[in-house]
Amino acid sequence: MLDIEDFSVAYGGLRALTGVSLSVGEGQLVAIVGPNGAGKSTLFKAISGIVPPVSGSIRFEGRDLLSVPPPQRAHLGIAHVPEGRQVFKTLTVRENIEMGAYTEAGRARFAQTLERIHELFPILHERAGQLAGTLSGGEQQMLAIARGLASAPRLLMLDEPSMGLAPTVADQIFERVSQIHREDGLTILLVEQRVAEALELCDRGYVLETGRIVLDGPYQTLISDDRVRRAYLGLGE
Amino acid sequence: MEWEILVENLLNALAAGITIGCIYGLMCVGLSLIFGIMRVINFAQGDLLMLGAYSAFYLVAAWGILAFLGPEFGPFVGAILAGPIVFAVGWLLHRWIVARVSGLRTAASLDEGHFGQLIVTLGIALILHNGGLILFGSMPRAVSTPLSSSAWMVETGIGDATIFLNKARVIAGLVAVVAVVALYWLLDRSRLGKALRAAADNPTAATYMGIDVDRAHRIAFAIGSGITAVAGGLVATYLSFTPFMGIDFVVIMYAGVVLGGMGSLLGAFWGGLTIGFVQQISALVLPPQLQNAAIFVVFLLIVSIRPQGMFGRSAERA
Repeated sequence: MLDIEDFSVAYGGLRALTGVSLSVGEGQLVAIVGPNGAGKSTLFKAISGIVPPVSGSIRFEGRDLLSVPPPQRAHLGIAHVPEGRQVFKTLTVRENIEMGAYTEAGRARFAQTLERIHELFPILHERAGQLAGTLSGGEQQMLAIARGLASAPRLLMLDEPSMGLAPTVADQIFERVSQIHREDGLTILLVEQRVAEALELCDRGYVLETGRIVLDGPYQTLISDDRVRRAYLGLGE
Repeated sequence: MEWEILVENLLNALAAGITIGCIYGLMCVGLSLIFGIMRVINFAQGDLLMLGAYSAFYLVAAWGILAFLGPEFGPFVGAILAGPIVFAVGWLLHRWIVARVSGLRTAASLDEGHFGQLIVTLGIALILHNGGLILFGSMPRAVSTPLSSSAWMVETGIGDATIFLNKARVIAGLVAVVAVVALYWLLDRSRLGKALRAAADNPTAATYMGIDVDRAHRIAFAIGSGITAVAGGLVATYLSFTPFMGIDFVVIMYAGVVLGGMGSLLGAFWGGLTIGFVQQISALVLPPQLQNAAIFVVFLLIVSIRPQGMFGRSAERA
């Protein structure tokens, strides 16, 4: 569904991504893990068109994504739930979800998706009329995910959904992500620093370090790799 | 019966304050959309108001395109039509100039493009009012309607005190209120309005939602220009003006927007209304030269008590 090939990005002469190749199949949950500053968010921003590429290609359902203007990409069915949540603080919870449904697909299925969103995150129903800026961090993360779901996407991209959240809240978010993947069969691309949790959920994982993919494979391969066990899971030896 | 005269004067000043205040409120709402909500500093807002006044003048008086509507209501239709004309001007100004120093292009920069906007829009202001001087001439103009010299009289029942409601100003005030309500509805309820607010709130996230942020900013800038131009057309029905009229009004507009609270459209309306009110009331006791001083005394008082303005939320954008 999403195929990235030999993709490079630079910020002011500094390479942020070098020769990254990655693919996400229909219905899969693919995780990208790695330390801070590895370029995970940069990759997402490039997919959404916020940072320009140096070289390489991105194809989404066979279509050259780099030739599509950034605001049009959501309309193709890509939902980007950004790092740090980035909800519209001065809009109400309900309005945030409506903005998620700015795409045609989202509008057409709004009643259904709204029901599903309230099922997954009942708190958002309770807080519908409240300004998003007044929500707690966990609630804002739920809203950010809900906003992504509201677009009725083909691919949901989640950037560090657990960032800055209390462990129990983060667990709850992971549980919901897994539920969305299992029950709705949605294709998900997940970036996470919580490596153990992320790898546990995924069908396939990539380890990104200093802008390069150093390892990739299905869950079993990654979890049994010595480097991963030592560096990310605190196991081994 | 000294006090009766006093009461009569006060009531008449109140009535004038409310009608003129509604027009000030409307122009403030136009700026509020651009400055309060989209956070673009626009010093040319007063000159867009001036273009609105001249649009009405040419449509109604000079070219007489609207003469068939009669002298009573033609000027008000002219004022309303000034909206779409200056909407187009605002659209082009944004497309060619303002977009370069605002929106997505400057979202990531430290000053959010404010320094650039300051200088660029000041330049636009200079070009517009000096260009206006060349095109329109320096002779004071007016879009007169016979309604401005007639009044509805309201008996108050307090002695002989009567309120004189200038018909032209009352109609202008009503047009202003209708325009504000329509814009409020557009921004609060419609999909376009919500997208404009989302694009102002977080341009990057709005792009992720599929909103064309540059276009949203352009529409907001053009609507804000058009709304202020309608107010300009309304001002033209009761005040004579020259191409330099914008300078007086741009100060009132910024004061109104800040007084009402940044980011609040209705707040800006109340801010403008308050200013019109203070101006008219102060006319009772102060010489005309000091009326603007009175406005700013009240402005400072309110802002020192509520720094976020009357309707501003201090938590917003924190």
